[in-house]
Amino acid sequence: MISYQNIFKAFDIPVLTGVDLTVETGEMFALFGPSGTGKSVLLKTTLSLIVPDQGDVEVDGLSVYRGPASNLDTIRRKIGYVFQHAALFDSLNVYENVSMGLPEEELAVLRTAELSRRVWDALEIVNLEPREILSKLPSELSGGMKKRVGIARAIVGRPEILLWDEPTTGLDPINTAAVERLIQRLSKDLEVTSLLVTHDVEGGLHICDRVAMLHSGTLRFCGTPQEFKDSPDPVVQAFVHRDAAIAALDMAVV
Amino acid sequence: MANLILAPIVGWFAKVGRAYRLTVEHAGALGILVWESIVAVVTLKVSFRDVLRQMHIMGVQSLPIVFVTASLAGIVTSQQGGYQLISSSPRYVLGTLVVQSVVLELGPLLTAIVLVGRIGARITAELGTMVVSEQIDAFKSLGRDPVAILAAPRIIAGIITMPLLVGFADVIGIYAGMLMADLDGGLGKETFFYGARLFWHSWDLFYGFSKSLVFGFVIPVISVHMGLRTRGGAEGVGLQTTQAVMFMILTILIIDALFPPLLLQ
Ligand SMILES: Nc1ncnc2c1ncn2[C@@H]1O[C@H](COP(=O)(O)OP(=O)(O)OP(=O)(O)O)[C@@H](O)[C@H]1O
Ligand SMILES: [Mg+2]
Repeated sequence: MISYQNIFKAFDIPVLTGVDLTVETGEMFALFGPSGTGKSVLLKTTLSLIVPDQGDVEVDGLSVYRGPASNLDTIRRKIGYVFQHAALFDSLNVYENVSMGLPEEELAVLRTAELSRRVWDALEIVNLEPREILSKLPSELSGGMKKRVGIARAIVGRPEILLWDEPTTGLDPINTAAVERLIQRLSKDLEVTSLLVTHDVEGGLHICDRVAMLHSGTLRFCGTPQEFKDSPDPVVQAFVHRDAAIAALDMAVV
Repeated sequence: MANLILAPIVGWFAKVGRAYRLTVEHAGALGILVWESIVAVVTLKVSFRDVLRQMHIMGVQSLPIVFVTASLAGIVTSQQGGYQLISSSPRYVLGTLVVQSVVLELGPLLTAIVLVGRIGARITAELGTMVVSEQIDAFKSLGRDPVAILAAPRIIAGIITMPLLVGFADVIGIYAGMLMADLDGGLGKETFFYGARLFWHSWDLFYGFSKSLVFGFVIPVISVHMGLRTRGGAEGVGLQTTQAVMFMILTILIIDALFPPLLLQ
């Protein structure tokens, strides 16, 4: 369970102004919101990559900002983070990048054969051909491939919680579907909790148990996908309908 | 009227206040960085291989440029010294002059300045790029300590490598100066070293060595610190790198100026 409690964060201007949000264990939760509203900032406060000005985050009852420093280590171990722009280590090849997803103590005792199998499996799960890319550097990969290597790195350590920052943006429809299925499978089979930031409203509504919408620094909406679609709130409606509008536009063009 | 007089004064105080706050902030962050690096070393979180790699980059790869710089420094000192000494002093004083200038000042200082450009700028740009492409965040999210992985190996390598490089620069500088004295004024090797020995204190070597140790510490610490504070995209990296270079050169010159009153009495 992740619970954000009254999170405030300002850079030059206020970004988050009192966000409260709880994601239950095993839940698939989607967070929508216009570009630049602080979705990535909110995700980063979970691991203290960005420290909020006010408020606290609790992960499975452990406080990130009010507890002992060891809490953060424990929490970082529990959580896999898929970065919006992959954030691969550009001096390491794909194999080394994905192995970094395993905790140091595990790397130290894992035999080479076992390690390669884990890396191999993680890459196959995200629909990449390990043989072809294991020894490549990130600069030699396409954007979509980088993104999927980033996902492989986040899941190889078998985290209990996954934070996905726009995992499907920039992927083709087949790989988008593959990633969506992966999120569903991890959640159903392994009870992994997923908090998914996405611009793909349709996809999010389709696969997630609950959704929320961040708007002007606070949560504008939080509920089930059906409630989201039925919400009378004009801002929410604009979001649902904008999607429909674009679909209609595409249809007209074709 | 009062405003006309007060406004510039208030403005000046505000400026000083800002500069002061910035200095304190930098000093605090530098202190924390050094402390965290020490903790990383003591808790054995620093990989020996990373240190060796950094030593190779800082040391072995710097040899050619240090060689050129030190030779030129030796040659120029020798020529200019010879020019100044023409009539009044005994000719062997040239040996004293070259050796002392190289060991006390030129060897450590020029090597440090060269390393600021070769290593300091590189570290800031490298870490700055890692910040803006979220690689530092990625390290943290995977439970790794960026200080242990990135900062500590560079600092240790700097402290070990710099004195070795300066030793190399001293030897090259003195040798080049001696050759030049011979070529320029026909001052033989024996006479040159006679002069050098006549006024030689072993303390001088320790003095130069201490300088190099401090410079070897300052360059990676400041460059790592500045790199990790990078904000914004490619532009931010460029800006931060320039500022880091200014910061390092100023710090080195100030430390260099503090050495004589502290250690040469
Ligand atoms: N490290 C930072 N320093 C300064 N400002 C930042 C930083 N990170 C984010 N911001 C600002 O915070 C705001 C929210 O950024 P954020 O990246 O969270 O948006 P987002 O909701 O993820 O948008 P998108 O959907 O485009 O990814 C932006 O105005 C951004 O400029
Ligand atoms: Mg974002």
